Amino acid sequence: MQESAWGWLIVSYLFLAGAGSGAFIAAVACELLAPDWSKALARAGSLAAGPLVIIGTMCLVFDLEAGLWQPWRQIYLVSNLSSAISWGVLILSAFIPVALLYADALNEITFIGRFVKRYTRILGVVGVFLAIATAGYTGVLIAVVNGVPFWNTPVMPVLFMASAMSTGLAVAMIGAAVIDINTIRTLSNFALGHVIFLVVEGMVLMLFIFMSLTRSTEAASSAMMLISGVLSPYFWSFVVVLGILIPLILSFVEYYEYGRMPKSLVVAADLLVLIGGMSLRALIIFSGSPPQII
Amino acid sequence: MPHYGIAVDTTRCVGCHSCRVACQNQQALQPDQSFNWIKEKDSGKFPAFGTEFVPLQCNQCANPPCLRVCPTGAIYTSPEGVVLVHEHRCVGCKYCMEACPYKVRHIDEHTGISVKCWFCIDLVRAGGEPACVTTCPTQVRIFGDLDDPNSNVSRFIAKHRAKPLRPDLGTRPGIFYKRS
Repeated sequence: MQESAWGWLIVSYLFLAGAGSGAFIAAVACELLAPDWSKALARAGSLAAGPLVIIGTMCLVFDLEAGLWQPWRQIYLVSNLSSAISWGVLILSAFIPVALLYADALNEITFIGRFVKRYTRILGVVGVFLAIATAGYTGVLIAVVNGVPFWNTPVMPVLFMASAMSTGLAVAMIGAAVIDINTIRTLSNFALGHVIFLVVEGMVLMLFIFMSLTRSTEAASSAMMLISGVLSPYFWSFVVVLGILIPLILSFVEYYEYGRMPKSLVVAADLLVLIGGMSLRALIIFSGSPPQII
Repeated sequence: MPHYGIAVDTTRCVGCHSCRVACQNQQALQPDQSFNWIKEKDSGKFPAFGTEFVPLQCNQCANPPCLRVCPTGAIYTSPEGVVLVHEHRCVGCKYCMEACPYKVRHIDEHTGISVKCWFCIDLVRAGGEPACVTTCPTQVRIFGDLDDPNSNVSRFIAKHRAKPLRPDLGTRPGIFYKRS
């Protein structure tokens, strides 16, 4: 009857919020657990997190209709706490300032950052919880919709969380390479993280597809659209091969070849993860079909 | 307070789309905009085959998924059991369009708010019936109070065991169908 009500703006938001919060988690994990491995990775991850989520939130606002032309209507957005969007607005409103403050404190950009420097660790821990909420909520947002059976599964937030972790680490690693190209050798330490996240993401994706095939006829038709239907060329090439398999192999090699892999290949693996994460969101949104009603 | 509902007899529908045009007239909609549709369902194979016309509009659910997901609280149920929209609250986030299993909502391109069938509540409160009901040449739709067991609509539903679309989704619609 009709295409999905949501388009590329929402897809971009789902991707950017996931990548931003994943980058924040990567930065805090790097800073807390392995501070001597790479300063650049923690700095890059924290600097990227806030702006990515802000751009994503702007995509959300631009997707509004009446609320875009008459912005004062947006004050109502937190009126209904049984709506995932109301929760999302609250989570984003909390995560964005914490992410910006953490980046400021870690990199000592402004006087505010130097002032809250002592609380960097607390900001990081609070921020990680909010980042998990942000990444998980993007999945919950579409998982609670019973107008699209394909999305209506608890695996959805898990899949988006796994994808957020791998794309977030990719953002942080690309950023680290941009900030300090010499650090790329030490980035091999983090390749294991990529291996783990990509394996988890691949397994959850497989679980999601297999369960969808048997859950209901509508979910099955959406899943068939991805694995053998009109969207299958994009699914197999962008999500499975470019987004998971090739970066997985490259990260394996990177981990065992410790620091001897060409720099371009290290960055290429991360870029491929980002392409895969964006394609995954786009394909899940565009393959969602409504229930058979008549 | 009555709880308004409609019984639809698909065996009488000839697919003339009068209900759609009447609705567009009544609500002053653009030609490409509509609050109701006629879905077609083919069945059987040659020589015993046929097309069933299934009129579709907002099901005025007693447990509306759109109301549950609306972040601004713009969607509410009126005392008559009709799902309505606070026009000044809606931001047009389109979450209700995703949540509705019947996919009967859309965005009004002029105001940018989410709109749908509202049972011509202005006519109904003045003692009339929705335009789609009164205009139908074959009297496919029967409008009335679902809570009154002696109303035409309740008796029709009881007599023909009319069922809502996809009752398994738990939305408890206020529109019941007698299917062929």
